[in-house]
Amino acid sequence: MNDGAIELDKRPGRIEVSPAAISTAASRVILECYGVVGIADRKLKHGKAELLDDRRYHRGIVVSIQGESVVVDVYIIVEYGTRISEVANNVINNVREALQRMLGAASVRVKVNVQGLRISG
Amino acid sequence: MDALSGKPRRVLTGCDGHQLQGVVATATSWLVAHAPEVDALNVYPVPDGDTGSNMSQTMRAALDCALESRETDVGQFAARLAHGALMGARGNSGVILSQLLRGFARSIEAKRTISPLDLAQALADASAMAYRAVMKPVEGTVLTVARVAAERALEAAVERPEFSHVLSSAVSAGRRALAETRNQLPALRQAGVVDAGGQGYLFILEGALRHLQGKTEADYSTKAEPSGATRAAAAMHAQFEHAEGGFGYCTEFLIVGASLSEHEAREHLAKLGDSLLVVGNDELLRVHIHTEDPGRAMAFATSIGRLRQVKVQDMQEQHEEFVAEVLPPELKLVAPQPVNAGDALPIGVVAVAIGDGFAAMCESLGATVVPGGQTMNPSTQQILAAIDSCTQDTVIVLPNNGNVLSTAEQAAALSRKTVHVLPCQTMPQGIAALLAIRYDEELDDILTTMRAASDRVRTIEITTAVRDAELDGLQVRSGDVLGLVDGELKCAGSDVGSVVTELLEAMPADDYEIVTMYTGADTSDEQAQSLQKLLTLRYPRLTVEQHQGDQPHYQFILSIE
Repeated sequence: MNDGAIELDKRPGRIEVSPAAISTAASRVILECYGVVGIADRKLKHGKAELLDDRRYHRGIVVSIQGESVVVDVYIIVEYGTRISEVANNVINNVREALQRMLGAASVRVKVNVQGLRISG
Repeated sequence: MDALSGKPRRVLTGCDGHQLQGVVATATSWLVAHAPEVDALNVYPVPDGDTGSNMSQTMRAALDCALESRETDVGQFAARLAHGALMGARGNSGVILSQLLRGFARSIEAKRTISPLDLAQALADASAMAYRAVMKPVEGTVLTVARVAAERALEAAVERPEFSHVLSSAVSAGRRALAETRNQLPALRQAGVVDAGGQGYLFILEGALRHLQGKTEADYSTKAEPSGATRAAAAMHAQFEHAEGGFGYCTEFLIVGASLSEHEAREHLAKLGDSLLVVGNDELLRVHIHTEDPGRAMAFATSIGRLRQVKVQDMQEQHEEFVAEVLPPELKLVAPQPVNAGDALPIGVVAVAIGDGFAAMCESLGATVVPGGQTMNPSTQQILAAIDSCTQDTVIVLPNNGNVLSTAEQAAALSRKTVHVLPCQTMPQGIAALLAIRYDEELDDILTTMRAASDRVRTIEITTAVRDAELDGLQVRSGDVLGLVDGELKCAGSDVGSVVTELLEAMPADDYEIVTMYTGADTSDEQAQSLQKLLTLRYPRLTVEQHQGDQPHYQFILSIE
């Protein structure tokens, strides 16, 4: 198994899905979640959340393997004035569903970190 | 606007906070009354959608918050609506709705009254605000319906500045946009439905228009049927009417006794008031009722047992408290139950259960029950309240539904106790896990045993398709019997027997020993008996047991182990 890729099948023949691929797939789902206005760097810059452009999404969507589960840490910026708990829950559900569909029966855990709020208009 | 409303014209051209209140109240009732229809617009043909309930609850929260302050300025009133919606937003559709209301309120912030043009502009600003809160707006959803309706409303307001013209134009444009959603999203096209959120928003606009046309909520009171999904909406509707009437006392108490009958208590108390809720077991009943005469309700209670924890509130005065319970009554049962079979045990268990039968089973196995499941996604707070109500410091949570898992995990993270969420996805898995608890072992061992027990169970769920659809290569017609294995649609057919046998064959059933049938709330005895007969005849080696699950929507849930 190469550097931390996710192994899906133990039968003869083998599929490996790289964390980068999972991260890309997750980003598409996240950006369609209502209330999410962007993916943020997991590290704050001068104490502020930094919005990422699409080439750097991997810095805000961290995929790792813990035990049997694929764990996806998601760092997002949410629109000010939405109910954050509901937005975050929706992200969790949508990402989980999409990744489980994509990866077969793998167990997927999603952690949402709201890095900042955007106040528009 | 003042100038406009001051003109001696017959048509309504100015609207203040009080008038808006009437409009929003009718719109909310109209949405609440149609919530089951919106729920049914699920991409999946299984009747477990919750968009309608979520939007209704959000609108209810908005209205309640606004009613509390009785603002007469339209801007202030709308601001209260938006605040209420934000605090009470439920689900994705609820969040979008709250954002629409926020944009609406922002648009008319400083105004005492609004003109038809202001209204159209506010609808447009609402849509713009809703679009802003998502990075990649998906067209073919409520966003599209709101935008198209608002665009047309603006045109209409310029043509002829009358509220009814603006709203009726918005409604017809919205309706066309809604029909179009079917062609915009592949998932909707495949399922043959329109977007649920869009439909919900259209009901709100339609309700508002009906108010202007003098049609108020009385028109649909006969519509609500007491079956399955409508029950929650009907209950909410009852509460709504009550809030409007604003009289009586909200009375709650516990009856402690021996061999209490939930059924008898309910029958007796039903004569004394409405919004009645009686839950519990034969030793403890929790009663909630809105009545003009709390004394009679309590007199009855003392005649059958001891009265505890009496709470009587004047509903006029206690409107605020009432607001906190906007949830349909099924959801209110989370209130910590002081007497619990599980209290003496070293580890507390919280189980989310759907249906009275499953709830009773979980309770008898020592769990604190949070009602919820397929349509009534319990909130984090409810699960948290249940966790906190356990006397133990270590609590295991059984979500018993894939959709509840993340909520349960969130509640677990919020609690100060040591909380473990066992990821069981179906009711039978949860029951199996509960049965497997050995309290004298170490926590890790207990969890491993519970998990193994729940993993061993296969679950078959039988339901009826609510409309035509094509899914994963399966052609489904409305009325077809659908069979799900471990949450996945596997088979559709014309009758329960053939679907169940097909699924059991594929399993294959010979590898298993026990089949437990849980009958649904609307399942007849004949249906249950004929399925039991069929299973015993066809699989003589299997032991077949039958229990009442009382779950909505699913005629049968089968546990195979």
